[in-house]
Amino acid sequence: AATAAYAGATPAPMPSAVPLPDISALVVINPNLVLFQQQPLLKRFVPIAVERAIRDIIGPVVDRSVTIACITTRELVLKDFAMEPDEAKLRKAAFLMVSNLAGSLALVTCKEPFRVSLGNQLRSVLQGSADQGLIEQVANICSQENLELGCALIEKAVSEKAMRDVEEAIAKAISMRRSHREQTGQPYVDMSFFQNGSRFPSQLPEPLRPKPGGLTPGQLRVYDDFARLTRAQHVLAGNHGSSTPTSSPPPPPGAAVSAPAAAARALSGQPGFPGQPGYQQDLAVAGAGIGGLNPS
Amino acid sequence: PQPQGDWSKLLTEKEKIYSLVMDLAHVEKRETALLELSKRRESFVDLAPILWHSFGSIAALLQEIVAVYPLLAPPTLTAQSSNRVCNALALLQCVASHQETRTLFLNAHIPLFLYPFLNTVSKSRPFEYLRLTSLGVIGALVKVDDTDVINFLLQTEIIPLCLRIMETGSELSKTVATFIVQKIVLDDMGLGYICATPERFYAVSTVLGNMVASLAEVPSVRLLKHIVRCYLRLADNPRAREALRQCLPQALRDATFAQSLQDDPTTKRWLTQLLFSISDPNALS
Repeated sequence: AATAAYAGATPAPMPSAVPLPDISALVVINPNLVLFQQQPLLKRFVPIAVERAIRDIIGPVVDRSVTIACITTRELVLKDFAMEPDEAKLRKAAFLMVSNLAGSLALVTCKEPFRVSLGNQLRSVLQGSADQGLIEQVANICSQENLELGCALIEKAVSEKAMRDVEEAIAKAISMRRSHREQTGQPYVDMSFFQNGSRFPSQLPEPLRPKPGGLTPGQLRVYDDFARLTRAQHVLAGNHGSSTPTSSPPPPPGAAVSAPAAAARALSGQPGFPGQPGYQQDLAVAGAGIGGLNPS
Repeated sequence: PQPQGDWSKLLTEKEKIYSLVMDLAHVEKRETALLELSKRRESFVDLAPILWHSFGSIAALLQEIVAVYPLLAPPTLTAQSSNRVCNALALLQCVASHQETRTLFLNAHIPLFLYPFLNTVSKSRPFEYLRLTSLGVIGALVKVDDTDVINFLLQTEIIPLCLRIMETGSELSKTVATFIVQKIVLDDMGLGYICATPERFYAVSTVLGNMVASLAEVPSVRLLKHIVRCYLRLADNPRAREALRQCLPQALRDATFAQSLQDDPTTKRWLTQLLFSISDPNALS
């Protein structure tokens, strides 16, 4: 509770557009849920709840994950590709890296808040339709079993936005390579990385340093490794059944699958990524004090 | 001139480092390279700039970090994966400490990738070790008094993460987290930030108070030292000083820690200064 004073007071605004695919075919509905056995028509509320839960939490997650991943990617890729004249290689590396970093940050941030939100959305859309115990069972089981799906959708939306944003972050580096080649016919080198009086990177042995004439496929591999199949691609590609039967019976109503206390903490007073106050604004005024946080 | 033998030994060590740094970029060689490099991080002074400026090394370390994110919740981090990522963090700590690379490290916002680790709550050893090592990286950043570092940490909300570790962590984690808060509050901007609202001040002073209470049961001189330094610095702010007159724990006012502080004149002096500074000005005259 002591940490609550530092938690976000103003929720970040929704990103302008976070397109979601049609998720009704992707949601998981456990066939053993008593409520849906009694009233199968209520199943149609599950995708609605999933979508609302995603929209409920995705705003701050997207903003923060994408902002951080873009800055990190820009700084590291421009450094590593300083002597790489081929803008396509730079661009590809930036895309792979930013997509992986932003997706990873989003995933580690949104898991608990999404599960809590989905439980609450399910309770809310199903309220009054049946006995509270049956609704609780649906809220607990369904939020657990659709956790992967929700996280995958959020990760995908975040990765896509990150790629759009990083394009802008590296636009200058790309156009300079292109225009330098067109005007001089010579490969481009970003000398700003060599004029700071530092012994490095000049002193590094050849295989370790970006060298004129372009990076080798062996060197580039470390950036290619960012492309290792993400969970989002896996979940969204492989999981087509609308009601994947599971062998395990659901626990009795009231036996919460989730850890509500921990999750509620994650949502409200929890420090961390969601609800970071003014982070975006602070970045915008970087160097101009700590915007609005000082007493006077 | 140096004897021939020493030169060749030096060269060999340097070449060994280069070869290990090269291995970092290869997934299959990385685990060994992380271990070997983290063993050498204290002895080889140029390791930080080599890591930073060599192609792909920092990217590889970031891959190690995000690779364990899925193991944080539900908590499934094993001792082996904790060791591996902690070796990567040890290398980042080296980059964070080095004069030539600290600003570059900060500009790339890499500390933020450690915050999910600080945000974990599992008490198991792999998690405790992960939090402690992550705190070590932040600790290395604040060790050098640099306003840019403090500004970055305040903007990115490190304080609530530290406060929770100060409440629930192991003695060592508590000590490092308190050290970080101490370094922040010693900075004018940091003091201003913490004393900007009563809520912020009480969030910090409540946690400090709880730690004092638990130290009365299980003493730790090094932790007490940082707590007292935090209180003393808070008392530099007039409103905080006023509040401390009411809320400074009794245990710091009486002889509870007299024995623990017997051999620590510095902390003893800080405590005396603190008590003097919050004493009632009217009572003095």
